[in-house]
Amino acid sequence: MRAIYLIARREFLSYVATWGFWLSLASVPMFMALGIGMPILIENSQPTRYYVLVDETGGRLEAALEAQAEASRAEDLERTREAMREMFGDLPQVEAALAAQPQLSDERYLRVDVGETELDALRPYLTGGASFTAADGGHSLFAAVFLRQDAEGAIEVDYWSTNVSDGGLRSQIRNSLRDYMQTQYLIDAGVSPDLIETAGGLSPDVRELNPERTGDTAEVTAAERIPLIVSAMTAFGLWIIIFSVVNMLLTAMIEEKGNKVLEMMLASTRHHEILTGKLIGVAAVSATLLIVWGGMALLGTFGVQQVAAAADVPIAEILAAVLDPGLLLPALGYFIIGYLMYGAVFLAIGSLCETLQDAQTLMSPMMLIMMVPIFLVMMAIDSPDSPIVAFASWVPLWTPYLMLARLPHEVGMVEIIGTTAGMIAFAVFVIWGSGVLFRMGALNQANQDTVKGWFKIGGQKKPA
Amino acid sequence: MSETILELSNVSKTFNGKPAVRDVSFKVQRGQITGFLGPNGAGKTTSLRMSLGILTPDSGTVSLFGGKPRPAALDRVGFLPEERGIYRKMKVIDVITFFARLKGVGAAEARRRGLAMLEEFDLPDVADSKVKTLSKGMAQKVQIISTLVHEPEFIILDEPFSGLDPVNQNALEQIVRRQAEAGRTVLFSTHVMEHAERLCNQIVLVAKGRKVFDGSVSQALGEVPRRVTVEAASDHDLRQILAGKGQIAREAPVDGNAVWTIDLATGTDAQDVLKACVDSGVKLARFEPVRAHLHDAFVHLVGASAAAETEAV
Repeated sequence: MRAIYLIARREFLSYVATWGFWLSLASVPMFMALGIGMPILIENSQPTRYYVLVDETGGRLEAALEAQAEASRAEDLERTREAMREMFGDLPQVEAALAAQPQLSDERYLRVDVGETELDALRPYLTGGASFTAADGGHSLFAAVFLRQDAEGAIEVDYWSTNVSDGGLRSQIRNSLRDYMQTQYLIDAGVSPDLIETAGGLSPDVRELNPERTGDTAEVTAAERIPLIVSAMTAFGLWIIIFSVVNMLLTAMIEEKGNKVLEMMLASTRHHEILTGKLIGVAAVSATLLIVWGGMALLGTFGVQQVAAAADVPIAEILAAVLDPGLLLPALGYFIIGYLMYGAVFLAIGSLCETLQDAQTLMSPMMLIMMVPIFLVMMAIDSPDSPIVAFASWVPLWTPYLMLARLPHEVGMVEIIGTTAGMIAFAVFVIWGSGVLFRMGALNQANQDTVKGWFKIGGQKKPA
Repeated sequence: MSETILELSNVSKTFNGKPAVRDVSFKVQRGQITGFLGPNGAGKTTSLRMSLGILTPDSGTVSLFGGKPRPAALDRVGFLPEERGIYRKMKVIDVITFFARLKGVGAAEARRRGLAMLEEFDLPDVADSKVKTLSKGMAQKVQIISTLVHEPEFIILDEPFSGLDPVNQNALEQIVRRQAEAGRTVLFSTHVMEHAERLCNQIVLVAKGRKVFDGSVSQALGEVPRRVTVEAASDHDLRQILAGKGQIAREAPVDGNAVWTIDLATGTDAQDVLKACVDSGVKLARFEPVRAHLHDAFVHLVGASAAAETEAV
């Protein structure tokens, strides 16, 4: 035990002392901040687009567009008001701010009048040859939109712009005019505007019911789907952790082999103690990462709880699903066994190789084996009872991920016990086999060619 | 009667059908410096690994401190492997402390001893340096300190002199002597006979996996025929004068004098040769009994072993 503790401690401290560890520690909150901040940054960094609208119908279509825009703006303001009320209550400052007609996030396109209505006169403004003065300085035009309608009522839009990538304004105008045309068509057919508005609000009330339940409890709620999503996310998380941790083990082992320390270690301790110490040391590193990330995520969750509630995110249900012992305990068990299986294999590979290049040949098949469950877990989200997924769950190297993803889907007890027993038996076998390989590799009695030789079909005949 | 620290009894080990060690037996007695000698590939490293339980023999038994080489016994052993290396990214004192703690020394005591030994080995300023910043010679000293820091009763050094310059070889010889003077038992393997001849009380000689000699240095030297070189200014034929006293060969003349070498027969000594020459009136320009070295014993014994093996085949 003393040797295992000392080896694990040394492994742990050697990782904690590296820049890579601190970068890993910072990477998740950094990526989370980037994930949240980048869309906001992108949204806020979008320039305001100025356009000219020329309505050749005498203002009819322009009025229709204005009415649509006003209705849309009113809806947005109401949504914002509701969200602010959820977060801060009925604050007069919020009401005052909203009453001041703020520019909303999707109001990036501002209509202006540059004093010209002819295309030839507007062309220099569109191509950068002329500019107009807005509140924040001189600008050229983003677009010039010409609206006309023929005698039969068909509407034509000429949209002039040098920017072909930003199609937001074009879509906005097309959608607004399409709604206007459809409404007008119905009005011309004698349907009253009230009836049209009522018809537009019609939508079926779909109830999803579980036949295993009766009465009021039969209805399936959105909260019931959360454990399914959480379990699939946990399976992905498990994969990411195991994948990154076993790579740590591999590089550490190769480095140790390169340092030629193993034989000196073997004079003080035994192969299995070195193997176990290393596995525990690196597991402690990953546990540290998980604890710090988990702590940050928990703090962050409480921090944004108000916002999440306002945005209708069922944070309490998500937390309950994450902290559910029915998921947490199997996840822990699958992590430990999965880590031991893959960790032992990667340690053995490392012990056979002098360099990372040597290891690549042996790692390639392992990488392929490791990639398969990613696709299968995705499949398991929609079809947990698919025969492929059910069959693959019995492959011990994939069991931790697939069974974790399938657990909330009422998997049979026989399948749970059978796959788990198979996985544990396989883990014991793999750890034993890896121990043998490690022992041979550590004393240079085997290398990557030895393993390659085992898989040669028929082998090569030695010359007589 | 002295205590046996290590005993290998009829130990054999085969790798992929190739025998590395064949039926080897020897003992290492407490307080002695034992040289484990043999050419490259003779099975020295495999034997040492089996002594420590790093490898398990296919047959035969290993006894370390009277029992199997278990962790408790290993705590009393300091081992310097042939392939040397230490954690390059760690600080020197942390490496030494780590290996001492693996052998059961407490953290504070390990650090104290480590610092003291760095002083003793003339490396007082490198305690907090990373190993990778040290020269090769300094790193090797750090590894030797890591081997000795837990004050082992039994020190095993596998080819300790290889890769060292003459100055460091001499320094290592001094270290081995000091350890022996402190009452520690030393077993080291080498294929350089000079070190063994200077240091060892006892030698074990192996060739092609088999033990070919086990005894004291003087006994080993006794296995080599003693030689006398005679330079004669007269025309006497020494083959007739010294008939029956050994194997006699005539060498190339020096300064016009005839040169003879005589490998003395068992029971004959240099005095007998000198007396016979004087009695026969040989004008001696030079009479030189040649002292045998362990190298000669090694070549003689290994050659005899190879010859015996060839005959057996």
